[in-house]
Amino acid sequence: MKRRVRIALLVAVALLFGASIPWYREPGAVPIEFLGLPDWVAVALLCYVAAAVLNSLAWLITDIPDQSSAPGEDEP
Amino acid sequence: MSFGQTGLVALVVYLLLLLAIAEGARRARRSASPADHFLAGRELGVFVLFLTLYATAYSGNSLLGYPGEAYRRGFSWIMATGFMLSIIVVFHLLVPRLRPIAVSHGFVTPGDWIRHRFGNERAGRALLLAIASLMVIAMANFLFAQLKAMGVMAELVTEGIVSYELGVVVLAAMVLLYETVGGMRAVAWTDAAQSLLMLAGLAALLGWLLGDVGGMHALTAGVAEVRPEAVLVPDVREQINWASTIVLLGLASVVYPQAIQRIYAARSGRALRRSMAIMTFMPLTTTLVVTLIGLAAIPRLQGLGQVEADGVMPLLLGQWAEAGPMAMWASVVVFLGALAAIMSTADSVLLSLGSMLAEDLLGRPRGASDTTALGKRIAAGVMVSMAGVALIARDVSLWGLIELKMELLIQCVPAFLLALHWRGLRAAPTLAGVVLGSLIAISGVLLGSKRIEGVHVGVIGLLLNFAVAVIGSHWQAQRASASASKRGSSA
Repeated sequence: MKRRVRIALLVAVALLFGASIPWYREPGAVPIEFLGLPDWVAVALLCYVAAAVLNSLAWLITDIPDQSSAPGEDEP
Repeated sequence: MSFGQTGLVALVVYLLLLLAIAEGARRARRSASPADHFLAGRELGVFVLFLTLYATAYSGNSLLGYPGEAYRRGFSWIMATGFMLSIIVVFHLLVPRLRPIAVSHGFVTPGDWIRHRFGNERAGRALLLAIASLMVIAMANFLFAQLKAMGVMAELVTEGIVSYELGVVVLAAMVLLYETVGGMRAVAWTDAAQSLLMLAGLAALLGWLLGDVGGMHALTAGVAEVRPEAVLVPDVREQINWASTIVLLGLASVVYPQAIQRIYAARSGRALRRSMAIMTFMPLTTTLVVTLIGLAAIPRLQGLGQVEADGVMPLLLGQWAEAGPMAMWASVVVFLGALAAIMSTADSVLLSLGSMLAEDLLGRPRGASDTTALGKRIAAGVMVSMAGVALIARDVSLWGLIELKMELLIQCVPAFLLALHWRGLRAAPTLAGVVLGSLIAISGVLLGSKRIEGVHVGVIGLLLNFAVAVIGSHWQAQRASASASKRGSSA
């Protein structure tokens, strides 16, 4: 369950990275101001804030063992 | 007291503080083993681990180069916040798999993983040499960038009382001294102090800039007025470059030798997990802040003619220092914060270079104390050589250097990320991929075409590198199974 939630969080982070780039706007378009910033910059920033929160949650539920769980498991 | 004199006093106090921390680290030393010297005995807890990861990730380039890029490119440099964040995301592919193996087998250098994973294959040794060489070249380049930035900062904060040349020599000697005396412990503890200084300095500078300009709305309006193109939606090529830079930095930064060694040096997986959970917010408190500082410089520095990218931050701090005695002190703190960021990266790079050259390239045994001694001697040699280069080649932009380093480092990615997740990967095709990818990246840099339609040549090299490694490994596996079945049928 924890693994699935972690993967879902990381997929959401990847989507937010994709959404941060202003593909959805006409290149060279004059922006509207939003939160004191050009709108496409504000969207990128909101995406990065959300990605940071989700990524932090993903780290908190990540299992990092201090030893390989079984002898030979890590052998190539 | 003038700005330069204040800066000189503050610089001396700061250096004395570093020496005191180094002495504390020397006394805390447990043994002369490489694990104790290069990894602080694998005892870094959440707080110090987080701060040393932070100080290592945010270098002179972050403090000097990024404001310059924001000033030059405008609001599209918000991409920097994204690519710094992507590093902590990509670490998910590396840390949970590498950490337990590293602890179980007592890894000290990145090469230990290559030796462990590919050591029983004929091409394993050649792959280790290729990866270690690429990392050493990239790190030497990075060290040069830090030394250059140290000299510039020392000269600026003292208004020339300490020249660029003297700054490079004295600060390089200082880094070498505390790294040699206290190893990773001294590096991590000084990194922690340097991180706090850096954060305080940046917060103070941003507060002054936004207060002075009248808030975010006024800042955006000011930029739009003097340089309208800086607020427009970027063109397609810039958007592709945005995505390409996220890929380039996200992937290349996780194979920084000094980052990998901090994964080994953590006290526990729990400490590492928590440190990463905090680190993920640092692009918002650092990269975003320096981006806004660079943007605020657009209207402020208008009328000064052509401004060098790396000179934006110092010019702003110079203006701030003129606002009164308190502002002058605050400006000195920011200068020292920037210097701290530079020195903290230089010390980590130097430590990694010493260990990798001694163990991975010269093949000295992992547990022996003479490996530590050799690593220290090599680090001294590297520092002296790179300081010499920094004294001669002053006119190179920091962002240009960082891109070159990343184009090379990213070629090491399949040997780590792919090898950790796919048992079928073989040494010979991985080596072929690394060589091909590196040749493409180097050719692009030498021919002056670092990007093709906005995509970094290093990223293109990585795609081909990846394809060669995967296809070659499949082919090798098929050939091996065909010859096994042939042997079986003839028997």
